[in-house]
Amino acid sequence: MQFLKKNDYGKYFVDRFGIPEEIIEKYTFWVRGKRVWAFSGEFIDVKDIEVLGIKALSLGRTPKPSTAFLRVIGKYAKKNVVNLDKEKALKFLEGEDIEGNFDVEQGYVIVKSNNDILGCGLYKGSLINQIPKKYRYEDTWL
Amino acid sequence: MDKQKLEYFKQYSEIIPNFDAFMESLEKEQPYWMRVNTLKIGEEELIERLENKGFKLEKYKNLNAYKIVVMPVKHPGATVEHSLGYYYIQDLSSMAPVLVLNPQKGEKILDMAAAPGSKTTMIAELMREGTIVANDVNFNRLKSLGGNLERLGITNVIITKKDAKSGNFGIKFDKILLDAPCSGEGTIRKNPWGFRAVNDREHKMLARSQKIMLKNASKHLKNGGIIVYSTCTFNPWENESVVEYGIENLGLKPIHFDLPIPHLKGVEEWRGERYENSEYYKRIYPHLEDTGGMFIAVLKKE
Repeated sequence: MQFLKKNDYGKYFVDRFGIPEEIIEKYTFWVRGKRVWAFSGEFIDVKDIEVLGIKALSLGRTPKPSTAFLRVIGKYAKKNVVNLDKEKALKFLEGEDIEGNFDVEQGYVIVKSNNDILGCGLYKGSLINQIPKKYRYEDTWL
Repeated sequence: MDKQKLEYFKQYSEIIPNFDAFMESLEKEQPYWMRVNTLKIGEEELIERLENKGFKLEKYKNLNAYKIVVMPVKHPGATVEHSLGYYYIQDLSSMAPVLVLNPQKGEKILDMAAAPGSKTTMIAELMREGTIVANDVNFNRLKSLGGNLERLGITNVIITKKDAKSGNFGIKFDKILLDAPCSGEGTIRKNPWGFRAVNDREHKMLARSQKIMLKNASKHLKNGGIIVYSTCTFNPWENESVVEYGIENLGLKPIHFDLPIPHLKGVEEWRGERYENSEYYKRIYPHLEDTGGMFIAVLKKE
């Protein structure tokens, strides 16, 4: 399946998280199936590209940002960011949902702890965990 | 270490200087090395965080390379910081080909046999901006490459799945890294259980593939561009012999280069084959800096 360039998807990150346009303009956005990829290099027309940059969005009823891309651009976000203390951050990384009211809009949010961008959460009264299993904290870790 | 596996290395007694020390080093456990992903965090900040968790790390010269002297976990990647993509476990010897490649901002670089991505991610970290085509023929290994790019937050890589011997990459590149699939003798300390001694016939078959890959690399190189050819093995048929093939048959020119990691020059002769340009090549041996092994050559297209 081909990658189709659709830079309009960059606007999602500007609108939803207040990422400055000059940051988003460093990337081109490419759709393949139900996924959007963010790429910061110069496109080379190599046939049979498997992956172009990293996954930025999954398309559905509402677009869902990827933890991997939020970890790249999340430090520039100005809104819809939840800042957790160290203890809650660890619980979030373990895959738990976090109870509580946060000053963000309903929907997908960036979850951070100090300067660490932890990834994607879904806020609807509480913070629903969206961290992919591969990034989840294991009890043998430090 | 299995005595039979050690016995295998005696075939190199005449080409590896200080051979007793070399053999002794193979029996010693290899320390882990790491580098900081400065695309995400500063070196000092990460080192302080890891040291606060009980790691003891030794910076190597002025490089972004740290020997892990003490680690409070079973595996050096078992930390939140690793999961956040703040560092990458990579042997010092494996960093060497990328240091030699010396990636620059804006370049187009082809990493022909890239998975699992240690060198690709290091190229991205050093070049900051530019484009990397990272290729590998093995689907499962490509998945590891993709995973590492995601974890480290690297967004300027195009991944392809082509046979490095015949794949068409569409354009000509400024620089090409051919870290060729090899018999992996230099990784025996890191993975003694996985190491499989190969016979002469297999070395020759690997060398044949490596020569075809070098030929394909040469086709995809701009005039004035360079190929860094590397392997993590000691056998001269897979190293000096392949590079000399490139010089004699592909019109490539060997280039002198600096390497801030202890090394020795290439082999001059092996089983009746003479290598005219051995002074251009560099070999990293485990007994020099307590690392794995590596062969590196730089070839220029004029």
